[in-house]
This record gives sequence, structure tokens and C-alpha cells, in this order.
Amino acid sequence: MLKRLFITAAFLGLAASTPALAEDDAGAAAIAAAKQYSGSSITVVAEAGLQSLLDSQYSGPEWEQLTGIKVNVVELPNEEIYPKTILEKQAGTGGYDVVLISPALLADMVNNGAVEPLDDYVKKYGADKELDDINPAFRDWMSYNGKTYGLVVDGDVLVTYYRKDLFEDPENQKGFKEKYGYDLAAPKTYKEFGDIACFLTEKYQPAMYGAGVINTGYTHFFFSERFRAHGGKFFDEATMKAAVNSEAGLKALTEMVEQNKCMSPGIETWGFAENLSALNAGEIAMTISWPPLGRWTQGVNIDDKALSWVPKTVVADKIGYAINPGGHPQLASGFLSGVSPDSKNKDAAYLYAQWMHSKSQSLKNVMRPVGLRDPFRISHYESPEYQNLWGGAKAYLKVLQDGAAAGYADLSVIDTFKYQDSMSRAVIAAIGGEDPQTALNTMAAEWDQITETVGADKQREAYKVWAAKPSAYRE
Amino acid sequence: MTAVSSTYIKTGRPFWAGRRGTGLAFVAPAVFIMLLVGLFPFLWSVAVSFQDLAGSNQTGNWIGLANYKKLFADARVWAALGRTLLLLAVALPLELILGLLLALHFQSDRPLKRLFVALIVLPAVVSPMVAGSMWRLMLDHKFGPFNQIIAWFAGEAVVLLWVIKAHLAFWAILITEVWQWTPFMFIILLAALANVEREQLEAAEIDGAGRFRVFFRIVLPAIAPVLGIAVLIRALDLFRIFDAVWQLTRGGPGNKTETVSIFMYIRGFQSFETSYTAALVVILLIVLSVAVTLALKRMEITR
Repeated sequence: MLKRLFITAAFLGLAASTPALAEDDAGAAAIAAAKQYSGSSITVVAEAGLQSLLDSQYSGPEWEQLTGIKVNVVELPNEEIYPKTILEKQAGTGGYDVVLISPALLADMVNNGAVEPLDDYVKKYGADKELDDINPAFRDWMSYNGKTYGLVVDGDVLVTYYRKDLFEDPENQKGFKEKYGYDLAAPKTYKEFGDIACFLTEKYQPAMYGAGVINTGYTHFFFSERFRAHGGKFFDEATMKAAVNSEAGLKALTEMVEQNKCMSPGIETWGFAENLSALNAGEIAMTISWPPLGRWTQGVNIDDKALSWVPKTVVADKIGYAINPGGHPQLASGFLSGVSPDSKNKDAAYLYAQWMHSKSQSLKNVMRPVGLRDPFRISHYESPEYQNLWGGAKAYLKVLQDGAAAGYADLSVIDTFKYQDSMSRAVIAAIGGEDPQTALNTMAAEWDQITETVGADKQREAYKVWAAKPSAYRE
Repeated sequence: MTAVSSTYIKTGRPFWAGRRGTGLAFVAPAVFIMLLVGLFPFLWSVAVSFQDLAGSNQTGNWIGLANYKKLFADARVWAALGRTLLLLAVALPLELILGLLLALHFQSDRPLKRLFVALIVLPAVVSPMVAGSMWRLMLDHKFGPFNQIIAWFAGEAVVLLWVIKAHLAFWAILITEVWQWTPFMFIILLAALANVEREQLEAAEIDGAGRFRVFFRIVLPAIAPVLGIAVLIRALDLFRIFDAVWQLTRGGPGNKTETVSIFMYIRGFQSFETSYTAALVVILLIVLSVAVTLALKRMEITR
């Protein structure tokens, strides 16, 4: 009797709670609302390469199956996402429905009228019920001047990956201590990063090198982090003159150039993919990169022919994760999904973005290596499913969460793209052989020219807002 | 003699231009379209160049000559122009000499001539973007054959970072350009050589003229107009070189291989400095128009 009563109560409880659960699930709400647009299609901007595979091979077909809305994917190289989006806006083509926004460029996107305010949609379709679940480090990205323009779909933070087996090897530990006078462990400073790289390279080359880094593309992220770790400030706030060619800048850039000497021949040409492949293949003992490497090196959820070019991992269960040297990893890029003001199907576009951003769907996305989407919700870090994905997953998620909390935000002012571009070119010039101080001076001159064009006073106001954030300089 | 040709001879003008009004009516649509598609964008650029249109300022205020002043003070523009002219000065003679030598070689009948001509011309039909990507792979330090061949000669592993090191990147672009466009010179000059009058060559031979004398006194003057046009086309192409540079280096490392076109693309379509870029476009159009007009006049092609 008691058993029957218990079952009945449980059934009634479940029945009563089910609608509430569905109502609170922003993913389910998006699917339900999107069904009214069945038969239509939306065009989604995705970063060319691995990112776009998520939309084209997984989420897009799944969304079509669930709602009847077809997803067309436009792939753009990372550095062309912003300019192409602005060009489409200027031409008024309405070619994109869902746009991809790098948070540092949100202000510029808004000032160019390239993104739709989303506050009304967020309330209307229930995404607001899940906002508290977003890591505060990333929630800040979504709004500009008090309005919401994007929903986080990718929470980036740079991570240090190292070969635990080599670092814990007694012979290596002894040899390293004898040579450098301190213990071999995950590097806490960039000097230690360089020491470890040289030590392991000396011992294992040419089969393996002490470290690998990314030297082509995205270089402004790596320089920005080191520059601030050495106490650098981007501008002199009083004059708004560029301060990137300061002592901190020289130290950061010189370090970046010098460290290459202890790495694989041709390291100067390495991008994200080369670095990932080398770590997977056991050709490097340590690197700094984005979170997906944690999933790739473990080989989880890799079942796609399109990914066959990446060497199968030989380092599963051998990789340790650490917060970057200096303790403040760059929150390098990340992505928001937004809606184009020229979209002819804004509601359908928004609902796809909400679904991708929702607790339920985003958890699936951030557990896949493909798509390069990384945890950005508290529920991602605390998900038992994720924590049990592999032996080290819990430690990996902890490093991502702690790193994000302590991380440096990307510089975000007016015309950020131009400053980023100039910085990347200066870093690559130095890596290509130019004297670091000369490269920095060129960068500073270009920055001053950009600031002059924007207007020093106008830029100062934007800079002050950004610099006031705790994640700007971490003092 | 037909009525049509007699009209032509009598008036010195084609038959359809016999009456002034009719002639104008015939050419007016074409002239209008030419002006619309040719002159209008130029005039529009001129107007925009006096404004401050940019990505973050789409209203456009009139600012007079400010963009031109800024342009003349911008060292990056002059550096890009210098690099473009240097590339032109090195690549053009190389393409011309190699193309001419190949054309002279294939002028006479040779075994499998058609096959070889087709193979030589192949690079010119490839999209420059594809050619740039292909050479990027060819020059890759790890997988590309270029470094491996050098290593065989050197007898040890060679790591030449062609698209990363500033002193090599220029050569990488040069190699790609010469590889792709020498065939263009070759095919044009081969056609020109085929039209050199045999009688003159035979007469010179009978008179005992040497090979060099025949070439410089008969062949070269005969192909000069075609050669001039080929040089002009390639010079203009090289001046606006974009694809190969973009695929190989994107103007890097730093700005070390940035050409005028790359500069304009970055400032116009990535930084959205619309008016500033328009000012550069106007200056370049004027300079190039003058240069081309003078060149054509010199070659007496406009006659």
C-alpha cells in the first residue's frame, strides 16, 4: 500500500514538475517557438574550419529535424568575420541571419549597426531564466551600453597543457632542479615556461620538443597576456598615446621571439592546427592554447571523417592542465551569437542562437572537440556528465573555470579590430626577424594614428570604461 | 567595288558615320554606358575622398584635402608603393626575358611542341589565388618540396621559412609571380614571332646577317608593338598585384610585403577607412592613367 502511495505521489510530482522544467529550459522553449517558422531557412555565420563543422554537421541538421528550419552555414576565416559582417551590413544585403561576434568587437559591431538588440527576444522566449548560470567572466560580454546584443556560445580562455608523465619523471625532475634550481612543474611564469621548454628540448629533440606555441594568427592574444603580465598598460590614459612599446612590451615580445629557439624547427609558421597536431602526436611536451585541446588530446567524441587529418592522440591520460604562467590567462576571443538587423527572419535567427546558447544544447556543444566551443556556464563546469567524460575532465574544467575568473579581458575600445591587426603584424614581424623594439615602435606609431583618427578624447572615454573592469589589468 | 567601300573611301569615315546625327545616335548608348561604368565610379571616388566616410562614420562630412594630406604623410603608403615598384622592376624583366627565350626556342618546329606549349601555358590559366595557395604549400618548410630540393644540394636539412622571414618573403612572391605569368609573355610573344615576315628573315640570312643582328634588326622591331602591349598589361597587373601576396603572406611579416593593393584592401575593407582609401585610389588612377597614356603614345598605338 505504502509502495503504491509512493509511486502515485512520485508520478503526480513528476507530472506537476514536467511543464515547469520545460518552461525553464531555454533550449526546449526555443524549439517550441521555432516550429512556427518551419519551412523557412536561416543563414548562420561560422568560423571557417573546425568551428563551422558544428553548425554544418551537428547543430544545423539537428535544428532542422527539430523545427523544420533549414540552416545554411557561411564559413569565414576568423580575421574576416568582423569585416565581412560589417560589409554585409553596409551593403544591406540581409545575407546573414545569425552573426558571430567576437566580444571585444561588440562595441564596434553595435556602432556600425550590425547587430540587433536582443533584450525583447530574451524576455519573450525565456533565455533570461538561464542567464544566472553563465560564468560572470563571460556574461559581461553580452551587453554594450546596457543593452544585450549577443548570447554567449563559446567561453574562451587560454590554458597551459603539459605532459604529466614527463614532468613527473624522477630523472627529469632531478636534472631540471640541478640545472635551474627549482622544481619541474607547470610553469608559473613565462621565464619558467622558457626554461622548461629548453630543458626538455635539449633532452628529447628531434623526436619531441619542450614546447610548442602558436605564432601565426591570433598573436595579439598571446602578446596582450604577456604584456599585461609584465605590468604593461596599452595606453597612457592622460595623453592616449600608445604605451605598447614600453619596457613591458619589449620584455613580452623579446620573450616570445627568444622562446622559439627552444622549439621545433619552423615553429614560426605554426598556427592553431599545427600546435594541436603536434601535441596529439606527442611531438611537444607543453603548449598554451584554447580549451578544445583538452578534449582533442583525450580523443573524446571524435567520430568524424572530416577530422581524420588530426593525428590520433597518443597522449590520452598523460596531459595535465594549468592556468597560464602569470596566473591571468587571456580570455582570448570567445564568441557571441547575434542577429543581423537586416535579417528577414529575425525570430527564427534568434531562436537558433538561443538554442545554441541554452543550458541543454550548449552542454552538448562544449563536450565536443569539433566546433571548438568551450564551457561558459556554471552548469558546464559542474556537469557530472562532463566531469566523467575522462579521468582528468574534472581537473580540466576546474582550470577553465578558475582561469576565466582570473583572466585578462581582450582590449575593447573603438576600432578595436585595427589595434588588434596592428599588434598581430608587429608580433609576426618580430617573429620573422625584425628587432622587437622596432616592431613595437611601428605598432605604437600605428596605434597613435588610429587613436588620432578616432579622436583621442572619444577613445579615452571608451578606454576608461574598459580599463575600469577588473579583468582589464588585474591589479 | 561595292557601294559601302566606295563610301568609306570617299569620306574617309565608315559608312555608318556618313551622317553626323546618325553616327552620334549609334555610338551614344555605348558612350553613355562607358561613362556610367567607367567615369562614374571615379567621380564618386573623388567626391568620397573629400569626405570622412568610415565604418564608424557613415554620414560623411566634407573635410577638404585632409585625406590627401594624411596620405602624403603616411609612411606605410610610400613603403607599400616602393615594394610594389620593386616587385614590378624585378618581375617584369624576368618574365619578359624568360618568356621571350621560351618563345624563341619554340618558334621553330620541335618534337612534341604542342604538348610542351600546352604544359608551359598551364600556370597562366590557374587562378592566382590557387597559385598562391599552391606555392605556399610548395614552400612549406616541412611538407613542401622546395626546401627538400635545396636540402639535397646543401647535403643537410634546410629550414627556410619562406613566408615568415622578411628577407625570404619577397622572393617567395617573386617566384610565384614569375612562375605564373612568364607563360603569358611566352604565348603572346610566340604568336608575335609567328607573324614575323619569313621573306625578311630569309633575305637577312642570304645577306649573311648573324643571329643577333637578325634578332635586333628584324625580329625585335617586328614584334615590338605586341611586346609593348604585353609589357604594359603585365606592368599594370604587377602594379595591382594582390592574390599571390594575400595567399602567401597577407602582406607580412609585419608590413614587409604589403603592396599598394594589399594596403588598399586592408584600409578599405578591413578597417573601413572608405574616404582615406578613396583618396589613394584617386591618386593612383591619375598617375596610372597618365603613365598608360604616355606609354601608348610612345608605342604609337593610339594612332
